[in-house]
Amino acid sequence: MGFCLRTHHLTKRYGEKAVVHDINLSIRTGDIYGFLGQNGAGKTTTLRMLMGLIRPSAGEIELFGAGLKGSRAMALERVGAIIEYPGFYLNLSAAENLEIHRRLMGMGNKECIDEVLTTVGLLDAKQQKVKNYSLGMKQRLGIARALLHHPELLILDEPTNGLDPVGIKEVRQLFLDLARQRGISILISSHLLNEIELLATRIGIIHKGKLLEEIDYEALQRKARQYLEIKVDDEQRAAYILEQKLGVTDYLVAGPGILHLYERLDQSAKVNFTLASNGIGVKEIVLSGDSLEDYFLKITGGARLV
Amino acid sequence: MFSVFNTEMMKLKNTKILWLVLIGVLPANLVSLIALLPKIAPAGTPAGINLQDMFYRQGQMLTIWGPALFALMTGYIIAREYQERTINQLFSYPVARVSFLAAKLAAVLALIALTTVLSSVSVFVVGAKLVFQQHADLNVLWLGMRMNMMICALSFGTIPVAAALSMVGKNIIPVAVLGVFVTVITAIGEAGHGSQGILFPWLTPYWPVRQLAQGIAQNSGPNPYATPALVVLALTFIISLIFCVVYYARADVHSGS
Repeated sequence: MGFCLRTHHLTKRYGEKAVVHDINLSIRTGDIYGFLGQNGAGKTTTLRMLMGLIRPSAGEIELFGAGLKGSRAMALERVGAIIEYPGFYLNLSAAENLEIHRRLMGMGNKECIDEVLTTVGLLDAKQQKVKNYSLGMKQRLGIARALLHHPELLILDEPTNGLDPVGIKEVRQLFLDLARQRGISILISSHLLNEIELLATRIGIIHKGKLLEEIDYEALQRKARQYLEIKVDDEQRAAYILEQKLGVTDYLVAGPGILHLYERLDQSAKVNFTLASNGIGVKEIVLSGDSLEDYFLKITGGARLV
Repeated sequence: MFSVFNTEMMKLKNTKILWLVLIGVLPANLVSLIALLPKIAPAGTPAGINLQDMFYRQGQMLTIWGPALFALMTGYIIAREYQERTINQLFSYPVARVSFLAAKLAAVLALIALTTVLSSVSVFVVGAKLVFQQHADLNVLWLGMRMNMMICALSFGTIPVAAALSMVGKNIIPVAVLGVFVTVITAIGEAGHGSQGILFPWLTPYWPVRQLAQGIAQNSGPNPYATPALVVLALTFIISLIFCVVYYARADVHSGS
């Protein structure tokens, strides 16, 4: 699978201070990439550089396999974005704001405006002036604008800001549908771990301007999952007994005499009894592993997501 | 390019920018209509309507108010993108930033032209009536039209200065201060009727108005400061425009800007 977006040693300095330092992002086509970091970690500055709003001090950006410098206009035609806050002309209606977008993106078909407003549930409010919109409605309209020209890559900076819990759930489902049904790649930045956890197929963790880790969500889950670490005298037989007697399937033989059991985390006594009563010598059973938040805290040196 | 200009005009819908146009239009029309009040000629007979005088009054009013109003229009068109935080989206389009600047300046030029045309409506209506009654000198009508076209063109010369202030300040306030300042200077300059006043770039549009006034006062001869004034205005335009192009094309867009 190819990459729709890559950065090479992307850096932004103000004076001596590097607010983004040597970032190498790699987003594959079809990824929902969660860009996770505290407020002020450098997420928005990075996204601004991707959209050409800020000039990098060093490094390169590659969109759809081509450098941004030489083919900015062509690349941006294939990208939809909300950077930090969806700004609109408040004196105009939602439909008029989208009409401006349609013209500037060179789209011929006016029907796309109604289509996209239907997608985000704002069709009934399309003639309302945007100054009368709530923050949540503006956020939806921002998503509509980002989708209007059928982009292949969506770059969304904290897109659930201002949405109520129902709205967040709907928007999340919309992103999942866009990725699964239309094959749109999504780069979504957030400081909300829960948000990223529910959406992302790949995660980049940024802290103090540095990309600390870039990892597939499945691999992260494996790293961050909690499990019962069982030390036994015969791990193969212990695994067989757990399968046969308790119906366990989610486990890993982690080493000689060590089993990691990812289910029945609250049934350590029953596991112990089952193994012992079948002649397995159990030396130790410990609940181990990290939650995703613990994992984040560990690699960022204890920084809390706020 | 036309679609970018078109979107700039769309953005002005339902804004208060037309009130600014009216502020320029109404006084110019009212003051020029003063020429319709009954007057007695030196010979003691009733004087007819003086179309040239009407154009002069209209031009004078427009060149006093115009610089401030046109600066405010420029400030609004440029600075609102920062104040309403639409600049992020604007600069994310696959359109060169310079094209947006050109479209915005073209929108300002369109507003200047609109204000100029509307400010001379009453004069032209009276002129058309006189032409119909065969009492008008068509040459004066042409002079008046030429004066208005020159006001329009010369007023645009200082627009990039207002644009530069708006994009650096990211706010309309610096332009409002500029507007107050130049209005005071233009009012004083025009009240003084000095030839050299047109060297101040915001007063250069007064040059064609004064030329018309000289005709009324039988004061023949072109303004000796016309060429230097045009050079100053051209330099003001070119330098500030280059600054605008470079700044708009290269400036980083940060949070909240």
